[in-house]
Amino acid sequence: MSRRRPLPAARPALAPATRILAPTRPAPAEIPAAEVDLTVDLGRGLVLPNPILVASGTFGYGVEYGEVVDVDRLGGICCKGTTLRARIGNPTPRVTETPGGMLNSIGLQNPGVDALIEKYAATWMTWRTPVLVNVAGESVHEYVEVVRRLDGVPGVAGIELNISCPNVGMGGLQFAIDAGAAGEVTAAVRRATDLPLLVKLSPNVADIRPIARAIADAGADALTAINTLSGIAVAPDRRRPLLGNVYGGLSGPAVKPVALRIVYEAAQVVKIPVIAIGGVTELADVLDFLAVGAVAVQVGTAIFADPTLPLRLVDELAIECSRRGMATYRDLIGSALPARTGRPSAKGVEYRP
Amino acid sequence: MRPAAAELVDSREILPGQWLQAYHAPDLAVGSRAGQFVHVRTGDFSGMVLRRPFSLNTVDAATGTVTIHFRVFGRGTEWFTRLRPGDQIDLFGPLGRPFEVDPRSRHLLLVAGGLGIAGVRMLADEAIRAGRQVTLLFGAASAREVYPSTLLPDEVEYVVATDDGSLGHRGFVTALVPDYEAWADQAFACGPAPMLAALARLAAGRRGRLGVAKLGRKRGGGRTDPTGSPAARRKAFLQVSMEQNMGCAVGACLGCVVMTMSGTPQRVCREGPVFAAEEIAWEGGW
Repeated sequence: MSRRRPLPAARPALAPATRILAPTRPAPAEIPAAEVDLTVDLGRGLVLPNPILVASGTFGYGVEYGEVVDVDRLGGICCKGTTLRARIGNPTPRVTETPGGMLNSIGLQNPGVDALIEKYAATWMTWRTPVLVNVAGESVHEYVEVVRRLDGVPGVAGIELNISCPNVGMGGLQFAIDAGAAGEVTAAVRRATDLPLLVKLSPNVADIRPIARAIADAGADALTAINTLSGIAVAPDRRRPLLGNVYGGLSGPAVKPVALRIVYEAAQVVKIPVIAIGGVTELADVLDFLAVGAVAVQVGTAIFADPTLPLRLVDELAIECSRRGMATYRDLIGSALPARTGRPSAKGVEYRP
Repeated sequence: MRPAAAELVDSREILPGQWLQAYHAPDLAVGSRAGQFVHVRTGDFSGMVLRRPFSLNTVDAATGTVTIHFRVFGRGTEWFTRLRPGDQIDLFGPLGRPFEVDPRSRHLLLVAGGLGIAGVRMLADEAIRAGRQVTLLFGAASAREVYPSTLLPDEVEYVVATDDGSLGHRGFVTALVPDYEAWADQAFACGPAPMLAALARLAAGRRGRLGVAKLGRKRGGGRTDPTGSPAARRKAFLQVSMEQNMGCAVGACLGCVVMTMSGTPQRVCREGPVFAAEEIAWEGGW
């Protein structure tokens, strides 16, 4: 508790007798944890009940952890990457542990968008927690086609675009590493749907700022950052790379500093909200990401070790705000950003000229 | 199926680099079946982010203990060996689908390669309790890696093969199988992938060679159970317990798949780890 905290202006003067007995330090105006406002408004009517989401690929379609986790208390669920047609994914091994993290190369194994809608949308509709469908594709047309099928499906609360896929039309270069391609696919999807549109940034770029700007200008409602870092591991016999697909994506606590840097940079150049992903394992990580401008965080790899972590973070964040006397967690956002940039937007931009 | 605290009761190195640990976990001990596994958290999350999957080696409902058997392979397994009785760890389970024994099977053939013994060990207990006869064929590189017979129930017929011939049959354990396949009603295996593939080839040719009746003909004749269902697996001659690098262990991450004959990868943690041998695409298929 800070001694420098000013007394509330409206505090009534105390009678002299009381003043002697009064504590030397003013008690912070505590707000009951249950009354702290944790809601996140991402625009287009998408309001998350709290800023703790689960990251794509780590929580399946939300039903897998059903016996262990009360999904209705999560802030949001990003489901596994979904493509137009079913994909069988990459050869095994697909995952391996690395110091402070893990590599994965699942290869977007999924049943395809139509089967996804048929199997899961009805369940999602019954949940209070918004489900964002993570969409991947190999061409702009494929992204648009998937999103078009998701548009208007009850139970689908929004889209998270995974643009870290090779663009077949551009010689296999990823959409995410080129501002032009990233903006193009975002704009095309934007025209195809009114659903809230989140776009996931790749950290495997020289400078994230022009890309973030291009995506925001193309009409995304929010950015999510970061996708995994590209890496490889070597098999124990040292005769070949370990993963069946050679390349994998690094996630876990090891990538947190990179994620902080990218959120810090992106939050300063765009007006739309940024949702942070990367190595969240405890409340301190959530507070760090909020401080560099994120409005919400996604928990990913840590779920494998502790499936109940996201719900615990929701409770801990409310208690932290209550302890600091904050009526809303939004007061925590952007405190570590340079002063001149001002507070980043915690609200979606619904209308733009 | 919940993450639950378990207390280490006993820990010993039963073979060079191989450990047997007993944990007090009453909920697991009553609700688990042979073939299922637990996903265990290490104490050092910031360094080791993934849990470690272990087959349930034995369970004892009376004392509420479960045992796991593992080889020290990396930093995670090394961490487990440093636990002392009284230490608490987080066991998540039971996970996966168990072995399915046909109610009419009298003679069970278990085949284990090295540490694969941990995958079929509990089935021996279950089968003997049910009054079945069990033969365990065990293969290892040399005599010093042979699973101690004192850790097996007395009723089990135990046959050993070693690669260097230092104990029992000289050669692969799969060479012993033809001697028993006429006797066996069903076979259950766990071990290295090449061993399982060789067993699957033997099992596929068994009906042709021996002319034995296929289980499940009489009851429900004409009805075919969907591939991968417990009923279909119960009718399979050979069931195998598969291994794969694992992430979440509940079917969410799709990290631990094996390719199946249907052309769709199946999750070891959810559809497995036990599969009917004919479900698996042994040659790959990606």
